[in-house]
Amino acid sequence: MEFLSEFFARFVDKLQSPTLGFLIGGMVVAALNSRLQIPDAIYKFIVFMLLIKVGLSGGIAIRNANLAEMLLPAVFAAAIGILIVLIARNTLARLPKVKTVDAIATGGLFGAVSGSTLAAGLTMLESEGMQYEAWAAALYPFMDIPALVTAIVLASIYMGKQKTKQEALSKQEALSKQEVLSKQAVGAGGGYPSESEYPSSRQEYREQQGKRVEIWPIVKDSLQGSALSALLLGLALGILTRPESVYESFFNPLFRGLLSILMLVMGMEAWARIDELRKVAQWYAVYAVVAPLLHGLIGFGLGMVAHYTTGFSPGGVVILSVIAASSSDISGPPTLRAGIPKANPSAYIGSSTAVGTPIALALGIPLYIGLAQTLMGS
Amino acid sequence: MSQQASKLVIITEKLLLKKIAKIIDEAGATGYTVVDAGGKGSRNVRSSGQPSVSDTNSNIKFEVLTPNRDMALKISDEVAAQFFEDYSGITYLCDVEVLYAHKF
Repeated sequence: MEFLSEFFARFVDKLQSPTLGFLIGGMVVAALNSRLQIPDAIYKFIVFMLLIKVGLSGGIAIRNANLAEMLLPAVFAAAIGILIVLIARNTLARLPKVKTVDAIATGGLFGAVSGSTLAAGLTMLESEGMQYEAWAAALYPFMDIPALVTAIVLASIYMGKQKTKQEALSKQEALSKQEVLSKQAVGAGGGYPSESEYPSSRQEYREQQGKRVEIWPIVKDSLQGSALSALLLGLALGILTRPESVYESFFNPLFRGLLSILMLVMGMEAWARIDELRKVAQWYAVYAVVAPLLHGLIGFGLGMVAHYTTGFSPGGVVILSVIAASSSDISGPPTLRAGIPKANPSAYIGSSTAVGTPIALALGIPLYIGLAQTLMGS
Repeated sequence: MSQQASKLVIITEKLLLKKIAKIIDEAGATGYTVVDAGGKGSRNVRSSGQPSVSDTNSNIKFEVLTPNRDMALKISDEVAAQFFEDYSGITYLCDVEVLYAHKF
C-alpha cells in the first residue's frame, strides 16, 4: 500500500510538468476551435533543433563513455522494435473490422520512435535529476529502423500471400474448365494438354522475384528522414568536433522553451486527428491507449534486465521504456505510406498522433520515471 | 513565336514528388513545375499550409509541358498505373500555346 501511495504521489507530481501542461493546453485550444496556429515551418525547425541538441549532448558525452555497455540495450531496443510489430500482427490484426495491412502499419508506427517524445522524456529526467547514459538517446535508430523494416516486410509477405491465394483460386477455376474441355476434346479425338500453365507460372515466378522486399531502401529512407538525420548529425558533430560553445549558448538554453511549443502543436494535432480515428474501427483507439503503456513496460522489463546484468542506469531504463512507448510522428508516417501503400493512413497516423503519442507523453513518461524511482531508488 | 504543346497536370500526394519527377524525366520531358496544392477531392479535404506532423497529408500539383500529346499520355499512364490505386491523385491534359519557347 505504501509503495502504491508513494508511487501515486510522484505520478501526480509529474503530471504538472510544463511538458504535459502545454500538451493538454494544445488539446484544449484545438477543442475550443481556436484559430491559433503554429506555422508549419516553425514546427519543423523545432523538431530539428530538439534532435540536434539531443544528438550534440549525446555526442559530447560519448567521447569519454564506454560504448561496449551500449551493446545489450541496443540489442534489446532492436528486439522491442520487432516485437511490437509482431504483437500488433497477432492482436490488433485479428480483431473484427481491422484490416491486416492497416494493423501491421499501425504496429510499425508504434514500434518506430518519436523524436519529440524522446526529447520530452529526457527533459523530465533532467528535471528529476536522474542520471542516464550519454548514449541512451542513440538507441533511437536501433528500435526505429527494425520496427519499420519488420512492418514493411510483414505487409509485403501478407500481400503476396493474398495475391497467390487469389491466383490459386483463379487457377483452380481455369483447371476445372480445362478438365471439362479436355474431356470434351477426348471424345472428339485426342486432346493436347494446354500449354498455358508454363508461361503463367514463369510470370508468377518473375512477379514473386520482383516482389521481394528490399530492406536496404527502407533503412536508407529511415536514415534520411528529417528526425534521424538531425539526431545522427548532432551525434557526429558532438563526437568529432568541439561544439560546446554553441551548445551551451544556443541549443541547450532554447531546448525547454522549444519543447513546450512543440508540445502545444502536438496537442493541437492530436485533437485535429481524433476525427480521422472515428472513421476507422474503434479497436484502433483501444490499441492506441493500451499499446504505448504495454510497450513501455516491455521496454522497462528488458531495461531492468540490462540494469542488473550490465549496470544500465535507472535513467537509461526510463529512456528505453520511453522510446518503446513512443510512436513515430515525423519520419515514420511517410516511410510507411511509401512502404505499405495499401494501408489506410487514417488508421495508423490517427491512432498514433491522436491517442498514442499523448498517452505515451502524459501517462507513459511519468509512469516509467515513477516506477524507476520506486524500484531502483535514485 | 508561339508553339502548340500539351500541358499535363498531375495533382497528387507530396510523398510521390521524387518518384513522379523521375517518371517525367525518363519520358523525355524537358522540365516541369511543381506547386503545393490543397482542396477537396474524392478522398477527403486535404489542405496545404497548416502544420501537419508529417508531409503525408500535403498535396502537390505538377505541370508538365510536352511537345506532343503522346508523351503526356505516356507520363500520365505510367503515373496512374504505378500510384493511383493506392494514392490520391488526378491527371488531366490541356492544349496550350507556349509563347517564347526557346527550347522544348
